[in-house]
Amino acid sequence: MANTSFYPPSGIYSDQYKKDMRIIKTKTQMIMSIAALIMLFVLPELPYVSGYILRLIIGAAIALIICLGLNILTGYCGQLNIGQSAFVMVGAFTSALLNSKFGLPFWATFILAGLAAAAVGVFFGIPSVRLKGLYLALTTLGAQVILTWVALFGFPITAAGFSVDPVKIGSIVFNTPEKFYYIAIPFALVMTFFAKNMMRSKPGRAFIAIRDNDKAAEGMGIDIFRYKLLAFAICTFYAGVAGSLLVHYMMWAQLESFTLQDSIWYLVMIIVGGFGSIEGTILGVIFITVLKEIIFVIGPIAEANLPFLPMGAGSGLLLIIIGGMAIVFLSVEPRGLAHRWNLFKAYYRLWPFGY
Amino acid sequence: MDFILSLIISGLMNGAIYGLVALGFVLIYKSSSVLNFSQGHMLLLGAYIFWFFRTAMGFNLYLALFLAVGVGFLVGILIERLTLRRLIGQPLISMITVTIFLSLVIEGFVSLIWGSYPLQHIAIFSNRCFNIGNCVLTAQNLYAFGLALTTALALILFFRYTNLGLAMRGVAEGHQTMQSMGISVKKILNISWGIAGMAATIGGIILGSTLGFQLGLSHIGLLAIPAAFIGGLESPEGAILGGLLIGLCESIVSGYIGNAAGVPAAFLILIVVMIFKPYGFFGLVKIERV
Repeated sequence: MANTSFYPPSGIYSDQYKKDMRIIKTKTQMIMSIAALIMLFVLPELPYVSGYILRLIIGAAIALIICLGLNILTGYCGQLNIGQSAFVMVGAFTSALLNSKFGLPFWATFILAGLAAAAVGVFFGIPSVRLKGLYLALTTLGAQVILTWVALFGFPITAAGFSVDPVKIGSIVFNTPEKFYYIAIPFALVMTFFAKNMMRSKPGRAFIAIRDNDKAAEGMGIDIFRYKLLAFAICTFYAGVAGSLLVHYMMWAQLESFTLQDSIWYLVMIIVGGFGSIEGTILGVIFITVLKEIIFVIGPIAEANLPFLPMGAGSGLLLIIIGGMAIVFLSVEPRGLAHRWNLFKAYYRLWPFGY
Repeated sequence: MDFILSLIISGLMNGAIYGLVALGFVLIYKSSSVLNFSQGHMLLLGAYIFWFFRTAMGFNLYLALFLAVGVGFLVGILIERLTLRRLIGQPLISMITVTIFLSLVIEGFVSLIWGSYPLQHIAIFSNRCFNIGNCVLTAQNLYAFGLALTTALALILFFRYTNLGLAMRGVAEGHQTMQSMGISVKKILNISWGIAGMAATIGGIILGSTLGFQLGLSHIGLLAIPAAFIGGLESPEGAILGGLLIGLCESIVSGYIGNAAGVPAAFLILIVVMIFKPYGFFGLVKIERV
């Protein structure tokens, strides 16, 4: 039952390896994917879709890019990273500074932001030559603490926050959620596509081998240090690009968006979605974004109507529910929503003859 | 000269508290190979429970202390029973991740019940001060220093000479082996979390009476992590020494550089130490070869 997702519906036979490796295997899947893409691109024009919903979707798309990177490092390569939002910060400030000091446009800065974040990420990944597991996780926590301090006290400009230009193509300025939607969604799609394909190729398989048994992987001739550094670089490159998107979307760069707690939120998203699963990352990000929004609405109402609750109880509720859910998922369903989704697919394919 | 002397003294005094908290990490790590990221938050909860018994219920000091430490033990046991117990046999990394989320839940729980604003201050120790040259030393600092060293000594003796301590060290080595030797892994883990909860409560009460009862207390965990790692996660004496080292470097760095540079400096030292001595100064060196 474990690998139900890898089996196509009955009646589909592959006579070539190429066919067997396809992501989209059946006509139905093809039609559904195209329909979903069209749906995604006409969404802002539909009735009832307000700026509020679009802002949520843009936030989820940016979080998705961050979490994809995190899932490649933590889910596929097995190196726990508790400092992801610090790398997002590196990308964000690189992009914002290049934009506001040197006037570079977004299309140049987002690559540079990704590369800068990757360089910092590789630097903090270097201890992985001798460390692993818990000890390596500590260096990422160190990255969070040290980088935040550098941004807060190292440079006056990053501590105070400053404005950034919106994204432009020719004369079109993407300065509202309705417009920025068409920047964020293509970015999220392309990054998802890269992640999915990269994890099916040689580096991806090497990552999985390192995660499952690093000694066996080294015995098979995988250069562990190189691939761990590569995983760090990919993870932090994703974080950097997402950071660049974030500042150009908000048109403001500030330190408060990149705390240790944000790093933990990203971990919750990939745990709820499923470690080592690209589809799971998408499910997890959507699930947590919606849940967070619901609690943001319920929290103040509860605080206002239940007099025995103290001030600030709403944020406590959020922490309990999100943290509690991550614990439940880790102990009851470690493979996350992605696994549940696969079980559901297997169920309806076999229905009514499942056993 | 006086400046650096006072920095050294205050660093050592703070360092003893970091060492005490780091002992909590060592205790759990020695019995289950799990780093408890929620140690700082267990400390926070312990402090708030003490505040509840002392101020809200109005008990006298010793009864409140006794009850708070008892409840701390129960909280530790409850945490193990509800979360970690279900993860026995799963990869270690998921056990460690659970403790990160545990810290979220505990902080949420505390702010749901007591709110997120600082509580009314209560003093436990006397306010007496001593002068050493031109430096001031409070009785509070001395109590904390003494308590940390005593606890460390007790733990070292406990792990070395008692059957329970031996069983805990065995459980850390391998669950299956210990289970087949007739030792209940579940019971051992449960008790070690209970003791860690007690230690966290003691640390929380000391810290709360110095820094005030507020949510920020949990940040001490962030400084105690480098302390525990630099000393070596398996060694109680290493935790105390690591705590003193981190305390010293924190106070000297913040004295000369300022700007709350103590925490990042501690982590920088941690990373450098881990590159050259991955298992800390007193830790158990594990050799792996392909």
